[in-house]
Amino acid sequence: MIFNLINVVVVVTVGLVGIAIYGMLVSRNLMKIVVGLQLAVKAAMLAFILSGRLNGKIDEAQSLALTVIVTDTVVAVVALALVVQVRRKFGTLDIKAISTLRR
Amino acid sequence: MNPQMALLWMIILPLGASPVAYMIGRLSYNRSKGLFGLARWVTLVTVMLTWIPLFFVGRAVVIDGPVSFKVGRIVMEMDGIGLLLSATVVLLGTLVTIFSLSYMKDEEGEEKYYALLPALCGMMIGLGCARDLFNLWVWFEGMAITSYLLVAFYRDQPGALEAGIKYLVQSAVGSVLVLFGISIIFLKAGTLDLVELREMASGFGPLGLAAGALFLAGFGVKAAMVPAHTWLPDAHSQAPSGISAMLSGVVIEAGLVAMLRALGVLSATSTAWGALLLMFGVLNMVVGNLMALRQTQVKRMLAYSSLAQVGYMLIGFGVSASYGLSNGAAGGFFHLFNHAMMKGLAFLAAGSLIYALYLSRGKHNPLMVEDLDGAAQRYPLTAFALSVALLALGGLPPLSGFMSKWQIFLAGAETRSTALLWLVIFAGLNSVLSLGYYAPLVNRMYRRQPSEAVKEGKPIAVSMALPMVAMLLFVVVLGFWPVWMSWLTAPAASSLLAGFGF
Repeated sequence: MIFNLINVVVVVTVGLVGIAIYGMLVSRNLMKIVVGLQLAVKAAMLAFILSGRLNGKIDEAQSLALTVIVTDTVVAVVALALVVQVRRKFGTLDIKAISTLRR
Repeated sequence: MNPQMALLWMIILPLGASPVAYMIGRLSYNRSKGLFGLARWVTLVTVMLTWIPLFFVGRAVVIDGPVSFKVGRIVMEMDGIGLLLSATVVLLGTLVTIFSLSYMKDEEGEEKYYALLPALCGMMIGLGCARDLFNLWVWFEGMAITSYLLVAFYRDQPGALEAGIKYLVQSAVGSVLVLFGISIIFLKAGTLDLVELREMASGFGPLGLAAGALFLAGFGVKAAMVPAHTWLPDAHSQAPSGISAMLSGVVIEAGLVAMLRALGVLSATSTAWGALLLMFGVLNMVVGNLMALRQTQVKRMLAYSSLAQVGYMLIGFGVSASYGLSNGAAGGFFHLFNHAMMKGLAFLAAGSLIYALYLSRGKHNPLMVEDLDGAAQRYPLTAFALSVALLALGGLPPLSGFMSKWQIFLAGAETRSTALLWLVIFAGLNSVLSLGYYAPLVNRMYRRQPSEAVKEGKPIAVSMALPMVAMLLFVVVLGFWPVWMSWLTAPAASSLLAGFGF
């Protein structure tokens, strides 16, 4: 059976990572990059749950995923705070426009 | 104090001081200007107090081996690597706090700085003690979050904001990759304990290789391994100087330690990890040195030279990971400690010049190479400190940088492999190349007429000179008696080798 639960979750996880990375590479808007970052972390959480389900340690996997949610929220808060500050300072969210530091 | 309690205190003290310093700073902010400085003293006292548990834990680790502490199912274990990392962190943290007393004085948001600095130290001490892959990741992420905030500390400066965003995005992608690696290992093994995993690792197959690659890429962002290094020069040059010293001296090395721990677990899956580390080491040296040559800002140049120095460490660790030589790991850890001292000294000296020339006038200019002209005439101590730090980084013989590089090169030669012999020669030549950008700075400070900026500069404070003198002593004394560090590097090296299954 190709459409069983496990296969669907695998496809969704890989798809989410793909979307996230594609979005972060293509988009020039800072906000969309943060969204991409969040998608990637959500995919990682799904991967944890999936591996917990496969090796029969779903409880441990869930506790790990909960911890990831907490740290991930903090990262999101910091990222959004910086984005707000960038918007106030530069008046734009275009990453080409805010890139001034020379190599 | 028994070692278990001391270990607990060592982590709780700095982490607990963080909210206290913040609240005291906030509460006194509105009351009176005089009380406002209280936050900085809270931080200083805490960092100083951390020395006491460090002493007890350190004695126990050196004499009786690893100290472990159990909270529920989480085990914290301080072994040789953890001890070396914590000792470096606490030492550099103390010196940076003393330096910041006048550097950050009356800066807007000073209490946040003093809240975040001990938190950063505590997170790194925790990272050194993690014995569980997921626990390692949590400490790593905590360290990353505190350092994002510190890099973007001057939040009104466009450059600092850009550096903060760049650093955050790259580093967060790196930690997501690590997370995927951990979930792969969890899938295969059903446990995340580093010791238990080591025995199962031979059965991981291709998925184990994938996890290793994810660890290498993910932790590699933090350790500034070359294709993922682009955040580093921006972050190091835009952060407050004390934080540049912390970032360059210990934060990237903490990333390296985390990577070594994670890869050590997978040593039975593949024997190629050591060779990969060597490859990245070469890349880091070449790119770091070549990019540093064309920099015009002092702090950016120092940041690129950090890349090159990480390259040497990678070579030391790579040699011991592929050949099982303890000399390589000991040299790598010795270089880690020396780098914290040398690069910390260089950043603090550059920072005190920035303070004297620009910051004390309320300007946020970067320190350009031209500003150093004739600095020795007005700032003899700072110029001397910067010169010694630069020459030690370049690896001139009587200084500590030479000793650790020499130990790494000797380990490379000890393998009796032709390829590694060439690699050592190449690394030696790279050291010579690095003098190409260090020496002109020394020349400028001592042999040019003072620049306009230097003539108008303000004097530097005593609390800035004090940590510089301490680090100067470390750099010079360890150059003459490198054996004084082997009580710390030898246990670290044997823990690393045990981690890689030798």
